[in-house]
Amino acid sequence: MVKEIERAGLPVVHVCTVTPISMTVGANRIVPAIAIPHPLGNPALSKEEELHIRRCICETALKALQTEVTEQTIFDVKY
Amino acid sequence: MKLELGNIIINDIQFTNEGSKVENGVLYVNQEEIKELVLEDSNIDTCEVFIARPGESVRITPVKDVIEPRVKVEGPGGMFPGWIAKVDTVGSGKTNVLKGAAVVTTGKIVGFQEGIIDMSGPGADYTPFSKTYNLVVKMEPVEGLKQHEHEYALRIAGFKVACFLGALGKNLTPDEVETFEFDNLVESARKYPELPRVAYVQMLQSQGLLHDTYVYGVDAKRTLTTIINPLETMDGAIVSGNCVSSCDKNPTYVHQNNRVIRELFKAHGKTLNFMGMIITNENVYLADKERSSNWSAKLAEYLGCDGVIISQEGFGNPDTDLIMNTKKIEAKGIKTVIITDEYAGRDGKSQSLADADASANAVVTGGNANQVIVLPPMETVYGHLHFVDTIAGGSANNIDAHGNITVEIQAITGATNETGFHNLSAR
Repeated sequence: MVKEIERAGLPVVHVCTVTPISMTVGANRIVPAIAIPHPLGNPALSKEEELHIRRCICETALKALQTEVTEQTIFDVKY
Repeated sequence: MKLELGNIIINDIQFTNEGSKVENGVLYVNQEEIKELVLEDSNIDTCEVFIARPGESVRITPVKDVIEPRVKVEGPGGMFPGWIAKVDTVGSGKTNVLKGAAVVTTGKIVGFQEGIIDMSGPGADYTPFSKTYNLVVKMEPVEGLKQHEHEYALRIAGFKVACFLGALGKNLTPDEVETFEFDNLVESARKYPELPRVAYVQMLQSQGLLHDTYVYGVDAKRTLTTIINPLETMDGAIVSGNCVSSCDKNPTYVHQNNRVIRELFKAHGKTLNFMGMIITNENVYLADKERSSNWSAKLAEYLGCDGVIISQEGFGNPDTDLIMNTKKIEAKGIKTVIITDEYAGRDGKSQSLADADASANAVVTGGNANQVIVLPPMETVYGHLHFVDTIAGGSANNIDAHGNITVEIQAITGATNETGFHNLSAR
C-alpha cells in the first residue's frame, strides 16, 4: 500500500513495529511503533502516558512527511 | 549426558471399566479416572473422553495440543518440568514412552484459530497425528473464565493426562530402546576435529496468548536466547502453549520428538559434529527481536560453529526474527540453513515470507500454508465443528450443503511444520 500510494505521487510515512520488514518492502519514511499487538499504544501505561506516546508518534510522523529524503529513512520517536 | 528412550509400542487404545493399564501393546483407559483427574481443576466444568484411531471417520477440532504420554523411569527430574514435575534438569537416565499413542486436547475455542485433525480422508495426509492412537480429551471451562485462564487450564490438564497414561508404562519392559549421548563442548570439539561443527537454533513462538512456548515452566518471551542440551528438549523441557494457525505450530509432541535434533544425532560423528542447541524467541517488540537474534549469533559463534540449522515456528512477523537470525549468524562467517514454511497465496504466486535477505540462500520449506483443501464430512466430530469457519485458514460459509469443508491447510494441525515433523514432501 505504501509503495502504491507513493507511485501515485503522494509521500507516505509508514508507522510500523517491525521496521526491518518495512525496509525490505521498500518504504521510504518509516516511524517505529510500540509493539505488534498494540502499535500505537501501550496497555501497560496510564491513559495520560498513552496519550503522550501517541502524540509523540503522530508528531514524528507528521515531521517525517515534511522531510525530504534521499534514501530509506527511519525517524526515531523521542518520547 | 546420556538418555535412554524406552519405546512401548501402542497398537490400540480401548476403554475399560477396570483400572487403566497397558497390556500387549494396548492402552486400556478408564474414562472415569481421566475425568476425575481433569476435573480436579475447578476451572474446568465438564470433561469427555474419546478414542480416535488411524483410518476412522473422525475429525477432532478445535485442537489445542497433542502430547506424547511418557514417564521417567530412572534419573533426575520428571515429565514437563516446571508444570507437573519440579524443575530438576531432565535429559538423562531412562524415560519410557507410549509410542504410537497421543493425548489430544479439545473443547470450546479459547481464541479463534485452533486446528483440525482428520483421522481418515484427504485431510489425514496433512497431519502427522492421523497416524497416532489418540485419546481425545474434550474439556469445557466454567462460565466466565478468562481466556488466559482457559488456555492454562486446558494446557495443564493435557499434561496431567499424558503423565497419568505415561505412568502406566513405568514398570513395563520397552519393545525398543533408543540411546542418545551428548558430550560437553570441549569433549565434542576434541572427538571429531575433522568434521564440520553444526548447531541447531530453534526459534520458539512467544507472541502472547495462544502464541506461547515454555521452557522448564518459564514463558519463552521472558527469556534471553540461551543454550539448552538437546537431550533436555527430547525429555520434555519445552512444552507448547500455542496452536494458532496450527499448521506450523509445534504441539508439545513435536518438541518431545523434534526431528531436527534426531537427524543431527544421526549425522553426529559421521558427517558433522553436533555442537549444541540454542533456543531463541519470537517476541512482538522490535528491541526484543534485535536482542534475541544478536544473542543467537553470539552463542553460535561461542559454540565454534561452522554451520547452523535454524527452524522457525509460525509465520508473519517471526519471518523477521528468522531473517535477523540468519543475517547475523552469516555475518559471523557461519553458514545457515533455514527451515520455514510459506504463505504464498492460494495460487502460490505471492512472496513466501514477509522478510528476506540475500544471506538466506539455503531454505527448506514445509509447504504453502495457503494451499486449499476440501475436507469431506466425517461420521464423528470430537470437539466443535462450528468453529471451522472462523479458525485461521477457514472462511465464512466454507461448509457446503454436503458437509464438505473448504479450508487452507494452515487450519490442519502440523500440516507445514517447520521442524520436519509432517507428511508433506516434494519427493
